Amino acid sequence: MTPDLAAPAAPTAATAASPAATAPAERLHPLYLVTGLGKALKGAWGLIAGIAVLGSQGRWWLVALVAAGFVILSVVSLLLNWLKFEYRVGADELRIDSGFLSRNSRAIPFDRVTDVDLEQGPLHRLFGLARVRLETGASAGAKDEDGVLDTIALDRAEALRDHIRARRVRVSPIAIGIDETAPPPLFAMNSGRVATAGLFNFSLAVVAGLFGLSQTFGDVLGFDPFERSFWMSLAERSGSLRELVVAHQYIAVIGGAIVLVVLGIATGMIRTLLRDYGFRLDRTETGLRRRRGLLTLTDVTVPAHRVQAAIVASGPVRRAFAWCELKLQSLAMDGAKGDHVVAPLAHPEEATAILGSLGWPAAPSTGSWSNVSFAYVTSLAALLTPPALVAVVVGLLVQPLVSIWAAGAVVAVGARWLGWRQTRYSLSNDALFVEQGWWRRRRSILPTRNIQSIDITQSAWARAFGICTLHLGVAGGGGFSAHRVPALPRSEGEELRARLFAATKF
Amino acid sequence: MTPETVPDHRAVALQPVEPGYRNVLRLGAATFWVPLFIGSLVVNWLALADTPVFGLPPVIVGLIAFSGIVVAPNRIYRRLGFSVDGAMLRVVRGWLFHVDTIVPFVRVQHIDVKRGPLDKLFGTATLVVHTAGTHNSIVSLPGLSPDTAATIRDDIRGLIRSDFE
Repeated sequence: MTPDLAAPAAPTAATAASPAATAPAERLHPLYLVTGLGKALKGAWGLIAGIAVLGSQGRWWLVALVAAGFVILSVVSLLLNWLKFEYRVGADELRIDSGFLSRNSRAIPFDRVTDVDLEQGPLHRLFGLARVRLETGASAGAKDEDGVLDTIALDRAEALRDHIRARRVRVSPIAIGIDETAPPPLFAMNSGRVATAGLFNFSLAVVAGLFGLSQTFGDVLGFDPFERSFWMSLAERSGSLRELVVAHQYIAVIGGAIVLVVLGIATGMIRTLLRDYGFRLDRTETGLRRRRGLLTLTDVTVPAHRVQAAIVASGPVRRAFAWCELKLQSLAMDGAKGDHVVAPLAHPEEATAILGSLGWPAAPSTGSWSNVSFAYVTSLAALLTPPALVAVVVGLLVQPLVSIWAAGAVVAVGARWLGWRQTRYSLSNDALFVEQGWWRRRRSILPTRNIQSIDITQSAWARAFGICTLHLGVAGGGGFSAHRVPALPRSEGEELRARLFAATKF
Repeated sequence: MTPETVPDHRAVALQPVEPGYRNVLRLGAATFWVPLFIGSLVVNWLALADTPVFGLPPVIVGLIAFSGIVVAPNRIYRRLGFSVDGAMLRVVRGWLFHVDTIVPFVRVQHIDVKRGPLDKLFGTATLVVHTAGTHNSIVSLPGLSPDTAATIRDDIRGLIRSDFE
């Protein structure tokens, strides 16, 4: 019972409204048994660690037993999965029957498909296979994915995507299939650009993690760049450096910091290269299509109609070089990662061009920005002043270390003041623009028609200062922090809400 | 959709689910409570033999198990009702925590018909509709006959129209 690999999705059947139940049942590619094994291994790292421990104790027969048991169990469960997994492509829905003990029959209407993702890991690419994921936006609440065909032939996957797309735009599928060769990409990144993006992906978290590790396990591993002995053993062969290290403890610390920074940069580089290599964004008839990846290729299609909001973000260094990142909030999530990154590192005019292709404005008309109330700063300052004063008094009389708290409060208020200078909003060109952030600056662009709800919230403290926060409900997303305009004077907040109501025509 | 085209959902009477659903609930509760009851017996004999609370755990667990296996399924079944009219699915369940859910068909993203081992044993199925959004986006209706579940699924399927037009 081999799957009919050569058969295209029969997109011509789109004329008849036949239920999917009558369509021929198809199975995953038999090589699912191989590609699925990798995932089973990934999920069993605890078991692998156990095997390693047993191996280090020299109990090899136990290692062999556990490993063999694991492989047999995985293969049997994969085989059962494969045998019990069937999918049918109907004219306007996909039907997936799966499960061994607990059978599940899922119907996914193509009208509800938000994204079509094609993903190819190294094994998939070797055999010309692909993993298809259909996002309907319903998975935002649940952890499971909507419709996944784990391993099917690549041409079958592409036919399926074209079939779904043809159904969406209601044009002949032949006209769609040829867009591979046609226009130049909307946005693309060459290797140099990807490497630059990697530099900016310098991961502080990795550095912190490594620092913690080297401090915790440095003794065990014999690796702690913050210890003199580490540098001394390195410098054993070069005598002059050795004297220096012995003389100055802080040189060892600087050396350790440099090692960690280099590691952080290298980690960011490798991660970015793996993910964004060959980044290419195309405008299709219905939306945007993004292809990227070095080992694992992903191919994501986002319909323009389903894009809810956009965000342009940049950090301090990126800003100095006039780079920014463009993300789109769609009804579905981009894998587990939230928003769809459509340009990891772009010049502002490129971001404007991408937004323009969707018919979105990138900036409000000039002169329409409004600042938020200065109470944004004073309310925080007033909140932090009493405890800071207490900390200063305690610091002077009892324990000097406590006054650090007061210094922290000053820093927090200073950061809030810098943030306030960058916080502004504008309602123009049928969209609400909000700019926020001092260190990492972001501008969110939210077309008024995509606003689902508007909340005015006001804490008791904020009420004393006469300010409120406007929260805007938007469908989908998840990676986004909520859309909001902070610290508006109450009357201004109500007026903005009224203007938004008028603009959205609820 | 204009308000006039929406039928009044209260006009449609609630339907009960399959009687076999009670057995699904009973067996499901039994697989949970019977091992627990046996465990309480063992603990009672081994650990509590000389204490004043000897015999108390099996009695308590047994009472809860009895109500869970014998009493509760009938009540859950009696309180569970659903109705399907042209535009929406309504699921009403519970007494202590009463929930009355209405799912407009136009908001459904995809639909599952699920049959676990117990469902197969007693000839029932669970209909699960997924709506978009992050809050309460999964509504399930257990205890339907497989045919009814499939019929409702096809009804909903027929009403999902493209929102790209």
